[in-house]
Amino acid sequence: MDTDNQTRQRLLYLHARTPSVFSEILGYTLIEPVEGFQVEISGGEFAWPYQTVHDALVEGWQIVQFPHLQSPFSDTDLDVVGYEFILQKLEAIS
Amino acid sequence: MISAEYLLNDVDVARFLVNGYHVVEPDLPAGLNERVADRLDALDANPGDAITETVPELWQVLEHPQVKGVLISLLGEDYSVNAHRHWHCKLPGSGSMQWHQDSTNNRGTQIDRLLGLYYPHTITADMGPTVIVPGTQFRNAPTDRMATYTNIRGQVPLTVAAGSVAFTHYDLWHGTASNSSSVKRHMIKFLFNRASENSAPTWNHDPEALNRPRDWNARDKAEDAGNILSFGNPLGVSQSDHYKERTIRRACWDELIGQKSAS
Repeated sequence: MDTDNQTRQRLLYLHARTPSVFSEILGYTLIEPVEGFQVEISGGEFAWPYQTVHDALVEGWQIVQFPHLQSPFSDTDLDVVGYEFILQKLEAIS
Repeated sequence: MISAEYLLNDVDVARFLVNGYHVVEPDLPAGLNERVADRLDALDANPGDAITETVPELWQVLEHPQVKGVLISLLGEDYSVNAHRHWHCKLPGSGSMQWHQDSTNNRGTQIDRLLGLYYPHTITADMGPTVIVPGTQFRNAPTDRMATYTNIRGQVPLTVAAGSVAFTHYDLWHGTASNSSSVKRHMIKFLFNRASENSAPTWNHDPEALNRPRDWNARDKAEDAGNILSFGNPLGVSQSDHYKERTIRRACWDELIGQKSAS
């Protein structure tokens, strides 16, 4: 199959401090739709490409899933870090 | 008994409760780290829990007063060295390991077990260091829920000097970076358990430790236990999470000083 210029889904998981797209990002995962791609925890200083979800929107990323806010809420317990936004870019990847 | 000079102080304990880790560089006998590293380099199979029989020099690390001082401070005089221990050899070319906890998360307010990570040689960023996320130790989040995280605000690669021992809260999120160097990265993981509840602090404690007034101007720069417990926020979490963390830390502190929280 000729894969040149095929449109593929790039994925970006951003974990924001609050459900607001203007709050600071606490977690960052980029998934490139290329064979063999693996995510990488940085062994040094990680350079944050975006500071907020809004920064990513400005760069053309589109939100495909907003944080789930209907889950049970505890006033005393803590669970995951931040609020997860999933974003995509549909791009021709050669 | 161990000399009080090796015990933690109130600020150390407060910082441990906030960050979930404490690193020491024990003054080990000359050549010990090199001998351990050489023995590990030569192993062709992982002996599992028997690593201390294969490399008996490891007991010199566990018995060092600076190591025992941390363990007594956080787990009590009668702490035990768990029979489980493991050699983690990260080979050149091996990839990143995702965030995880070593078992199910067991978040409570008692500090009842610690991991001790000993590195016999100096760890650089390209050797696949262990990476930890300070402040995640009180999160009731199983490993599966960590799978969509990669880089997290405030994460700390343990790029440490040879001979360092990093003590971590058992539930602290941890993973590794990839090893792009040409050398094996060795780490021996030990597990330590609390044997009994504290009836009094087991570190160098000042009863006035929490009596300094809250200093809203110092916040993350606080240098006293009370303000560190109140304002420490290594992840930079939201206000509501931060308030919950503060309550959990204080309950931990109360248990450690032998005074159970009313809640």
